Amino acid sequence: MWSYEKRLQYPVKVKTPNPALAKLIATQYGGPNGELGASLRYLSQRYTMPYPELKAILTDIGTEELAHLEMVSALVYQLTRNLTPEQIRAAGYDAYFVDHTTAVYPVDANGMPFNAQTFAVSGDTLTDLHEDLAAEQKARATYDNILRYADDPDVRDVIQFLRQREIVHYQRFGEAKQTGWNGPAPFPKDPDAGFSKRRPLYSSFGYKNFSGRVTRNARANSRKFSGVMV
Amino acid sequence: MNEQARLLRRLSAYQFAAWELHIFLDTHPNNCEAARKLEEIQKTVESLTAQYEAAYGPLGESAAQTSRWAWITGPWPWETGEEES
Repeated sequence: MWSYEKRLQYPVKVKTPNPALAKLIATQYGGPNGELGASLRYLSQRYTMPYPELKAILTDIGTEELAHLEMVSALVYQLTRNLTPEQIRAAGYDAYFVDHTTAVYPVDANGMPFNAQTFAVSGDTLTDLHEDLAAEQKARATYDNILRYADDPDVRDVIQFLRQREIVHYQRFGEAKQTGWNGPAPFPKDPDAGFSKRRPLYSSFGYKNFSGRVTRNARANSRKFSGVMV
Repeated sequence: MNEQARLLRRLSAYQFAAWELHIFLDTHPNNCEAARKLEEIQKTVESLTAQYEAAYGPLGESAAQTSRWAWITGPWPWETGEEES
């Protein structure tokens, strides 16, 4: 389960409303590289992950993305406070306003509602981990693009924090990809700990598939639809 | 920044450090140095959390401070404190 803490991961305090900027930032709420897709991607992928480290990192990063979702929505909320109809029209926020007023709804920068087709959950360990690495870079690039259009230091500070987190997550996913083959098993050799059967994600025989068996060679692998070849 | 915001920022900084070590340990479960640092920071998080909750109300449902009014009263995390209550 999850429990809520009445605080943001990093504080958001915007003094000056700016609906035009809110429209751009909202894409990290409901857009193709946004935090909603990020959390759903990781929290959905974790069930078919074969190693304890992978289940842990997807659970934890998926959880942190929910905290980022809250920060992005706090930015959107604070940037659209106390607006006059003229300000809304001048900022091009009127089209969003007629549907949602200043409520926070998951859309991309063009107003398209959130779509689960923006992320993949394949059940294949390597495919999913590479999807995750790409996702972190796509989110980082989107934050870079937002920074090109954000002058307000209150906003830039928060966006730079979120951008930095994408880089840290990318690093963690990169390490997760090497789990189990990059050196000896890290846990003490306690048979009760449940890690005695751990096998490398890659091996000299082939790739460990989702059923837990190591396939012997590439040809067998492609015939039996059991995973990706090394 | 008022006293409440200052204390919450301090607490959040320690919680952030704890979180960084927590996810680092997901992929480095045998790193004793990181585990030791995490344990150390958790102690500070605990004491700052107790201090904050005693003064300003619960941060979550498991808080020792159980004032229901303090829980439902703003500002909520996304608010600036200028909202009508």
